[in-house]
Amino acid sequence: MQDNILIEMKGVQKWYGGYQALRDVDLIVRKGEKIVLCGPSGSGKSTLIRCINRLEAIQQGSIVVNGHRLDDSIKAIDVVRQDVGMVFQSFNLFPHMTVLQNCTLAPIRARRISKSEAEATARKYLERVHIGDQAEKYPAQLSGGQQQRVAIARALCMQPKVMLFDEPTSALDPEMVKEVLDTMIGLANDGMTMICVTHEMGFARQVADRVIFMAEGQIIEEGAPDAFFRNPQHARTRQFLGEILAHH
Amino acid sequence: MTPHFGLPEFGFLLRGLQWTVLLTLVAFVGGCTAGLAVALLRTCGHKGVEWITRIYIGIFQGTPLLLQLFVVYYGLALTGLKLDAFVAVAIGFTVNASAFLGEIWRGAIQAVPRGQTEAAMALGLHYSSRMRDIVLPQAIRISLPATIGYLVQLIKGTSLAAIVGFIELARAGQIVSNQTFQPLLVFGVVGAMYFILCWPLSWWGSRMEARLALASQR
Repeated sequence: MQDNILIEMKGVQKWYGGYQALRDVDLIVRKGEKIVLCGPSGSGKSTLIRCINRLEAIQQGSIVVNGHRLDDSIKAIDVVRQDVGMVFQSFNLFPHMTVLQNCTLAPIRARRISKSEAEATARKYLERVHIGDQAEKYPAQLSGGQQQRVAIARALCMQPKVMLFDEPTSALDPEMVKEVLDTMIGLANDGMTMICVTHEMGFARQVADRVIFMAEGQIIEEGAPDAFFRNPQHARTRQFLGEILAHH
Repeated sequence: MTPHFGLPEFGFLLRGLQWTVLLTLVAFVGGCTAGLAVALLRTCGHKGVEWITRIYIGIFQGTPLLLQLFVVYYGLALTGLKLDAFVAVAIGFTVNASAFLGEIWRGAIQAVPRGQTEAAMALGLHYSSRMRDIVLPQAIRISLPATIGYLVQLIKGTSLAAIVGFIELARAGQIVSNQTFQPLLVFGVVGAMYFILCWPLSWWGSRMEARLALASQR
């Protein structure tokens, strides 16, 4: 089983100045696992996944990704970022580049792949997220849902071992949520290891192997979706689920 | 007999205009190069370096350009380094421009949304690629109106070079005016020359600004 561990977080503590964002977080993610992270805003769920690719530094504890211990060295951060793809709430596409250029920049610069090879890979992934015919357009010419699918393709072009999703549908108009979720479900079905911060409980039920609930920087409880939704153990979880399900 | 304002005098003004343009170009190109370095150092994330750059910018923005030209021309002469007037003012303007452009671009770099840098980092791009491919292309676009505005100020500001005896357009105008006793005509021509140089740039700058405003609404 040891070999299958992709991410291992142990005793992770993070502060922003005097404010503690993560308290003693332990998390193990195995290859192929799909994990949904939920919790109220400010609970530390975004912070947690942003620590995995070192967008945030931690003050205590350890994070090992695909066998590489993440420390402050540029080399370690590099190696880990090669293995970890990320999709952001606000897409963060590069507005001055076409969709295709968005997808080929990192493979060309960071993986040193030839332009033609990078473009072939990019077109393959753009097809896969059903946006192949928009490759020459600029991000501003696309809808929010299309932009987020480009962002997913862009991350996939680096052929990551794990994908992090930071509230990928929260900035979308309701009618565009489904196309992005469908893309993510497709990715999950293909066996991608995923950690998704999301409030889309339908998605959690459908694809998650585990649902993790966080509050005040701590993991409060976790479980398979069935048990998690039907029979949450903690009062804090029940309260949260009550609030969130009332809106759906 | 006093000479009238004729072709030779006009030619003299044109040579002054040439020097104004040349000085502006040297100061602008030099200022852009050094200013880029200032802007990058000012935003590099290293506290000490940022602090030093801040002082550098503060000194050149907080003292009169005239004083800075004096220091380069007369001050360096005192240390035994005798510079040609053009070289001296070119250095003075370049250094001054590097501080102003550095500050303009510092603001532009910081105006590029943080998410752009984060996305680039998440994709495994290093600092050099993040700056060259992602941040600077957007920052330059953001800063273009202010940069052009500064260039217009610089063109007009080069008239200060006359103070150390460098004959550029304004100084040439003064000389011709003193010879011909036709100050209205001479300075009218000088003014028109500055205007022809600056107005298209100003127009271009405000057009860029309008286009940027439109783009940010989308």
